[in-house]
Amino acid sequence: MRAGGDFLDLLKAEGYRLPGADLRESAQGGAASLPFQPTEGTTILALRYRDGVLIAGDRRATAGHTVLYDRADKVIDIDAFSVMAISGSPAMAYEIARILEHTFQYHRRRQLQEMSLAAKLRRLSLLIRDNLPMAMQGIGPVIPIFATYDRLDSRGKIFFYDVLGAQFESADFSTTGSGAAAIRGAMYYNNQWGERPFAELGRSESLGMALRLLHTAAEYDAATGRYERDAGVAPTVKTISADGLRTVTEEELRASHERHIARADGTGDAEG
Amino acid sequence: MMLDEPYRWAEAVANRREYIEDQLRGGSPVVGLAYRDGALLLTLGQGQQKVFEVYDRIGMAALGHPADVEKLRQSAVDLASVIGFNYSEQDVNLQQIVHFGLGPAVKTAFDEVFRSPYIVRVLMLELDGSEKGAVFYTVDYDGAFQKYEGRGVVGEIPEADGLMRSYLPETGRFNLRNALKAALEAWAAGRFVGTLDEVPQEPSELERLAGEADLQAILKTALESAAVEAVVFDRSGADKRRCRVLGNREIQPVIKPYR
Repeated sequence: MRAGGDFLDLLKAEGYRLPGADLRESAQGGAASLPFQPTEGTTILALRYRDGVLIAGDRRATAGHTVLYDRADKVIDIDAFSVMAISGSPAMAYEIARILEHTFQYHRRRQLQEMSLAAKLRRLSLLIRDNLPMAMQGIGPVIPIFATYDRLDSRGKIFFYDVLGAQFESADFSTTGSGAAAIRGAMYYNNQWGERPFAELGRSESLGMALRLLHTAAEYDAATGRYERDAGVAPTVKTISADGLRTVTEEELRASHERHIARADGTGDAEG
Repeated sequence: MMLDEPYRWAEAVANRREYIEDQLRGGSPVVGLAYRDGALLLTLGQGQQKVFEVYDRIGMAALGHPADVEKLRQSAVDLASVIGFNYSEQDVNLQQIVHFGLGPAVKTAFDEVFRSPYIVRVLMLELDGSEKGAVFYTVDYDGAFQKYEGRGVVGEIPEADGLMRSYLPETGRFNLRNALKAALEAWAAGRFVGTLDEVPQEPSELERLAGEADLQAILKTALESAAVEAVVFDRSGADKRRCRVLGNREIQPVIKPYR
């Protein structure tokens, strides 16, 4: 009788192996490791606003200099109060997100209680650590942002990880991916000396801020996709508050773009 | 005892049947019913949780030994979760869980007379599993399972099931409040059968006795020491999480007449 109720243990007992497990063996067998060069073609950002957390990501997926796909969802619902935003290898990131989602659900159903936030963070940390062989060979690093609303603490929380699974909590904001370098300073500046810090922004203002930051990242990072309104390719933006997780609709995104970006750079007039 | 002799084995199984049915006596019946916006599982209990979420659209309720209920519940959750991960959430259905999981496991334990059997009667629910809004399966202590559409019950003795079902509407057009009322009546009918010293084998005779019984008084007495435990699988929910435990706000108006 298994009492622990850990979903990954159950999967392993059924024969499941994380993709990295095979690579670990081949590396031990003498196969040469590739240089560790994480491919992080994306921009993900999260900020704590007045009601909780807003998390946003562009939709572009790249392989080297090629745009592979322009409708990738990189902000993934994990449960009613949590999302994981991915940068790094999509295959491994989606697998980790899927395991994580099932792990939380499985725990709730089997143990008859929600998993604590500390345990959720620990599970993600362990999954990232289990992925180390893939990361070390340069083909599967995953560096996510985990955003959630802590109902016990009544506030949104943002956590980011390194490739070894170490977990850190961001006080106000976090960004990851290849476009992060282009906007990290802007986020700091806006939070520190903008009209108001992020924590005092309402939902609409923080959405406008996120769209501006993604727009800025796309300006300087070729691996970050723009909001292509003509093609209907909008960034993924979600908010998590005491009321739960909500995906920002395309109508809201269009209106926010019109208000916060088009006017500023003059690109939106034609599209109204 | 020489169990390799067929007669002895049959005798041992009969003894187990008698023992289990005796143990199940006094258990709180369980009722399941499709209604307009989803499906409901209901029982009355004294604190021990008896109605559970197994997967997105699958629920379980049972009467019997708590440890046995727990073992079967965990098996069902494990099986559903692995199928959901390896295939997809849409590929998880009740037929797999009952036919390949619970049914054979309970049957094996029942047949092996040196092992302790599962002292349980289980009712499983799958939202939208049929045109009638939900599919129900009963799994008995001997591993026998049976599929029902739109409504399902398990009483403390199998003879109660038919009578309980007759108190439930065939189609799930009720709103939640009316579904709760019908489920409570069916529960009371099941409890009534459990109180009989001798249960008539003829269903019509049982129905006649139940018609003469004061089911409202049975409910009133039960509610003095027990609480209604009800879970719905609500298809109108905004996200894929369908399971919701009903709170006092929804239950109190329905049980008020019996207080």
